[in-house]
Amino acid sequence: MKITAPHLGNVYIAAKALFDGLGIEYIMPPLNNKEALEMGSLHSPEEICLPYKIMVGNYIQAIEKGADTVLLPGSCGPCRFGKYAEMQMNLFKRMGKNINFIVIDAPGDIGIKELYNRINQISRNSRKGKAGQIKALLRAVRVMNLIDEIEEKAHYLAGYEVNKGECKKLLNSCKRDAMNTNSPRDMIMVLEEYKNRLDNVKIDKGKNPIKIAIIGEIYTIIEPFSNLYIEDKLMDYGVATKRKLTPSWWVKDTLLKPTKLNSLKIKRNAKKYLSLGVGGHGRECIGEAVLAQKEGFNGAIQIFPLGCMPEIVSKAILPTISKEKDFPIMSLVVDEMTGEAGFVTRVEAFIDLLERRRKNVLSWS
Amino acid sequence: MIVGIPKGLLYYKYYPFFTTFFQELGSELVISPDTNKDILDEGVKYCVDDACLPVKVFHGHVAYLKDKCDIILIPRFMQVRSREYICPKFCGLPEMIKNSIPKMPRIIDKPIYAISRRKLYPWAREIGRIITKDKKKIKNAFNTALIKQDKFKLGFNDDSQQLTVAIVGHPYNIFDNYVNMNIVEKLNRLGVGVVTEEVVEDSLIDEEVKRLYKRPFWTFARNSYGFASNVYRENKVNGIIYISSFACGIDSVVIELIKERIGNFPFMTLKIDEHTGEAGLDTRVEAFVDMLGRGVI
Repeated sequence: MKITAPHLGNVYIAAKALFDGLGIEYIMPPLNNKEALEMGSLHSPEEICLPYKIMVGNYIQAIEKGADTVLLPGSCGPCRFGKYAEMQMNLFKRMGKNINFIVIDAPGDIGIKELYNRINQISRNSRKGKAGQIKALLRAVRVMNLIDEIEEKAHYLAGYEVNKGECKKLLNSCKRDAMNTNSPRDMIMVLEEYKNRLDNVKIDKGKNPIKIAIIGEIYTIIEPFSNLYIEDKLMDYGVATKRKLTPSWWVKDTLLKPTKLNSLKIKRNAKKYLSLGVGGHGRECIGEAVLAQKEGFNGAIQIFPLGCMPEIVSKAILPTISKEKDFPIMSLVVDEMTGEAGFVTRVEAFIDLLERRRKNVLSWS
Repeated sequence: MIVGIPKGLLYYKYYPFFTTFFQELGSELVISPDTNKDILDEGVKYCVDDACLPVKVFHGHVAYLKDKCDIILIPRFMQVRSREYICPKFCGLPEMIKNSIPKMPRIIDKPIYAISRRKLYPWAREIGRIITKDKKKIKNAFNTALIKQDKFKLGFNDDSQQLTVAIVGHPYNIFDNYVNMNIVEKLNRLGVGVVTEEVVEDSLIDEEVKRLYKRPFWTFARNSYGFASNVYRENKVNGIIYISSFACGIDSVVIELIKERIGNFPFMTLKIDEHTGEAGLDTRVEAFVDMLGRGVI
């Protein structure tokens, strides 16, 4: 069994740690690229959302390299993501490829026994004992938390750094070095080292950079390829950015969901505008916009794929928040047709607007 | 108190309940007219542009009603079957309306869980209290409304013609004749009878959806898939027409699943949005019927 999984931001680093730790053979699809998107769009229904298309591209590229099993988390609605697995299974059947899908669903939907069976399909290939497997899992979680922390720090400090581009360089070399390690232990050491180095980046505390919160649909904000590397671009502009939704946040949120104790702060802040969950991360998007304003950010950018149902609801609500709190919010819709030039122009115009607002040359209404 | 009921979205399926309930409570009702060009234009003007056509149309109906009543019913349908949803936009519909249309009167936005009598009653109790203080009256109104709803039969079951076509899709696309440009009448004129999902019993639909790897978690997706799969298997119809609104997230999934299930069986998707031209739709429907008549497939 050669296992593969679709990309989601930096999760591939944690996935490497996990499979290395378990001693399971895995095929990492090439980092998201144009070709993956093109192949994905070719084999996908026209109106499905962007993440589906990129994921299909990932599988195809991984299958070319010899993968035969796909690992995918699931959900049971109301967002479309829950149906991905079934449609993708049908797709590969139609293409005449024998691909085994392992879908990790919540135990409430498939029963705890079935969940155990599915996890067992992976773990029985591991040479490690139970204790070793749990250790590998914990290490992978540690890696994920570390890389998320590093990334968050780098994105935020990019606004304050003295030597321009230092944070970005550190972040990039961190990912590269982490991928070049051979064992999860080494990887954690590398990440710890980079975390320290980021803490020691020379910063100018007197600087007052533009601060932007990135909110919206979880896949399109975490996966840099799908949003045309907006966070990297903002780093280049010297903008401090913050994004609350990260893979480690997602894991925590999903595990806590049955107890209803997940992301209380976000829910509390969203309550005035959207009191019920609308699936996906629509409520989170609203809560984060309110929080960003409270935390002194200059503006927020909402990103979501074309046709994303929960985010359309949030998009209808955001202008009210913007008006009531005097807080600029821009919505960007991405799909496989998004042109880079138009996208960049809008981001630049938004930053210009935020800058000029500070000088009180414009009134925002 | 004048209650406004917009004739959009699930109105077509559940209007006996709502109209009876409010009438029995003794309130005056204003129901918006059938969808027309003005309503659609108003809807397009107010609604967030990424939304689908039915939601835009609903915005139009609300805009029409907003100055004509004291309180508007915006049903926030959360569930109509247990462990299933309708669409994320239904859960956030009142918020979309409140934030898109200015100067709204008071609205009824309490979530509706129509999975059982017990789950639905709290909704009726709370809404009833706005209109009357008489608890007994509310209870009676609720019971009468439910009986009316139970007796109500929606849908087409016309297999008297030479050809029969199944029309699949969300009820608000099938029963809003402005949005679908009178498709049923058009088909009848071409000598084609129409059947809709209501003719297939619930238990049969359950049987069909068991084929799916994953339990369908949208009620209307479940119905559409189960119905299409059933008429295909039992060979009840000559072809299937799926009416889908542009950018409908649920349809993008269900259409794929149906196509996977029925293989080469005659199937046509009609996409509708606010720009759909009638001539184009006519041509496609005629071509489809011609194809069925000649038995090409």
